[in-house]
Amino acid sequence: MASVSLRNIRKNYTRDVTVIRDVSLDIDDGEFIVFVGPSGCGKSTMLRMIAGLEDITGGELYIGETLANDIHASKRGIAMVFQSYALYPHMSCAENMGFALKLAGTPKAEIDSRVQRAAEILEITHLLERKPKALSGGQRQRVAIGRAIVRNPKVFLFDEPLSNLDAALRLNMRVELSKLHQELQTTMIYVTHDQVEAMTLADRIVVFHAGLIQQVGSPLDLYENPSNLFVAGFLGSPKMNLLAGVMLECGDGLASLSLQQGMIVSARCNASHLRVHDKVTMGIRPEHIRLVSADTAGALAAQVDLIEHLGDVVLAYIEIPGIHEVLCMKLPGSAPALAYGDRIHIAFPPEHVLLFDHEGNALPRLPA
Amino acid sequence: MPSRKHVHAMLHTGAHYTSLILFALFTTFPFIWALSSGLSGDASHMYLFPDGFWPHEATLDWFARVFREMPFTTYLKNSTILAFFTIAGVVAVSVLAGYPLARMKFPGRGLVFVAIIATMMLPSEVGIVPNFITLKHFGDAAAALQGTLGLGPDWNLREWIGLNSYFGAIVPNVAGAFGIFLMKQAFEQIPQDLIDAARVDGANEMQILWKVMVPVTGPSIAALAIFTLVSAWNDYLWPSLVMNSKEKMPLAVGVFNDLTGPFATSDNILMAAIVLTVIPVLVFFAFTQRYFISGMDGAVK
Repeated sequence: MASVSLRNIRKNYTRDVTVIRDVSLDIDDGEFIVFVGPSGCGKSTMLRMIAGLEDITGGELYIGETLANDIHASKRGIAMVFQSYALYPHMSCAENMGFALKLAGTPKAEIDSRVQRAAEILEITHLLERKPKALSGGQRQRVAIGRAIVRNPKVFLFDEPLSNLDAALRLNMRVELSKLHQELQTTMIYVTHDQVEAMTLADRIVVFHAGLIQQVGSPLDLYENPSNLFVAGFLGSPKMNLLAGVMLECGDGLASLSLQQGMIVSARCNASHLRVHDKVTMGIRPEHIRLVSADTAGALAAQVDLIEHLGDVVLAYIEIPGIHEVLCMKLPGSAPALAYGDRIHIAFPPEHVLLFDHEGNALPRLPA
Repeated sequence: MPSRKHVHAMLHTGAHYTSLILFALFTTFPFIWALSSGLSGDASHMYLFPDGFWPHEATLDWFARVFREMPFTTYLKNSTILAFFTIAGVVAVSVLAGYPLARMKFPGRGLVFVAIIATMMLPSEVGIVPNFITLKHFGDAAAALQGTLGLGPDWNLREWIGLNSYFGAIVPNVAGAFGIFLMKQAFEQIPQDLIDAARVDGANEMQILWKVMVPVTGPSIAALAIFTLVSAWNDYLWPSLVMNSKEKMPLAVGVFNDLTGPFATSDNILMAAIVLTVIPVLVFFAFTQRYFISGMDGAVK
């Protein structure tokens, strides 16, 4: 096991094409960290640089106490699981799993025992003699994980390992990966674009965008307190509702802003560095929008555009007259039945409203 | 009564089979003609149509005479040696040249590839004169070395690497643009993840090549081997120029020299010899064809 430190890491493919810009991050020993971000944000490149499959243009990479920039991939003490499984098709599962040990000159008896032990952890003992083509997608991914386990790596690297699996299998494997981390207590770095995987697996999430780290933190912290508009919009499904407005009242207590058509919304944020009439964006999660009666203070009139029943919850897509944005509202499954065209009233509780300044940075929230 | 859709499907299937059978007859009729002529005791029907396509007074006499009237087994041995080492050489050169062209980054890679492909534009006959002269010089050098080392005439080093040597008949055919192109394409089809996985597992470039890439490109190598076998087995012009002793001639040259021309005894014996010449290639193909269909199954996704 080992910690991983990234110090001002940069990656350029050509002089003009920079995919990673000055990334610094400390990953603790035994931590499960998830890199998340949209396609092309640089998360996979970052992982491949840690693996030793891409050169590091600038900065320093430490695995444990060792500067690993120029160490060969196989000597870094890492093991990697690929999205495409990358199993050797001409070898049996046991040979696939023992390949690295065989190359390292490990005695056959030890290879066999380590392969057997990894197979038992992953419950694939009965598959060891089969070739990859005789396995299902989930079984292949287990073999790929087994291939990583047998090496007893200091750090596990996962590059979107569940993306090729169907939804049900993905859920199962996600749970198993969590258990595996509990059991092995090894540092794991996991790349995904699936925010559900990120939220459920991570000790800490690192959100990437355009080659930069946008925010690092625990899943709940990122969900509750996104540091900027990108993180706010990226994490959460359905996405956070975002509406443009201008500041009406700034201060270090309750701030208020005006949306289009003069509708006023309050937020419990410290807006003391803003001025009246500054442009801001307000954000509120779908589950925080309240269905209220017309006479409630701060109630806004709205109309239902679409209803989606998901069993435990109902998603209502609503439109506020004069604001050309469809808002999503998450209601409990037992909420009063709504239908297309219903006229309703909603409220944005100030303690759940987030404000972002004109640069997209979140304003600090204040305790209730 | 069959529906219109059913009749349409039957007509469709019938047309498929008819065209395939016609194509099969078209491609196999020279072999069928040679086989029936080789098996016919009565040679008078050989040039009659369609009588020439089945044996008359069937006999294996012509096949027996092939072995009696010419050193068939010697020619067969020579063809086998030439084909085996040509295949080994072509596969080795194509794999070793195709891998870096497909997977390694180095300055001038594109230029090297274009230069190799450009050689395909030239007819192979262009190489005959320079190759012949080169081989003659090789032989002279070998003879000089033999003299210098004081080796006796039994050594005959001239015929190790010069004219009338297996080396001379094989080596000019070993470095072919086609094989390099085929293997480059095959290596490019392999997902990068598989190479990365091997690299993380601790393999160096040569281990990646021999332990991962070569086994995975087995079908392409088998295809290259069979193409090379057919061309080496049937190669006439170059061996006929290089080999001037009967002991080293391959089948194509030997059969032509011994069974055609003004002193040829019979066309039926020639046909029997042709059938015997073709059989080893058919046997090889029968044993290797299964490798064409296995491949990347299960490697990725």
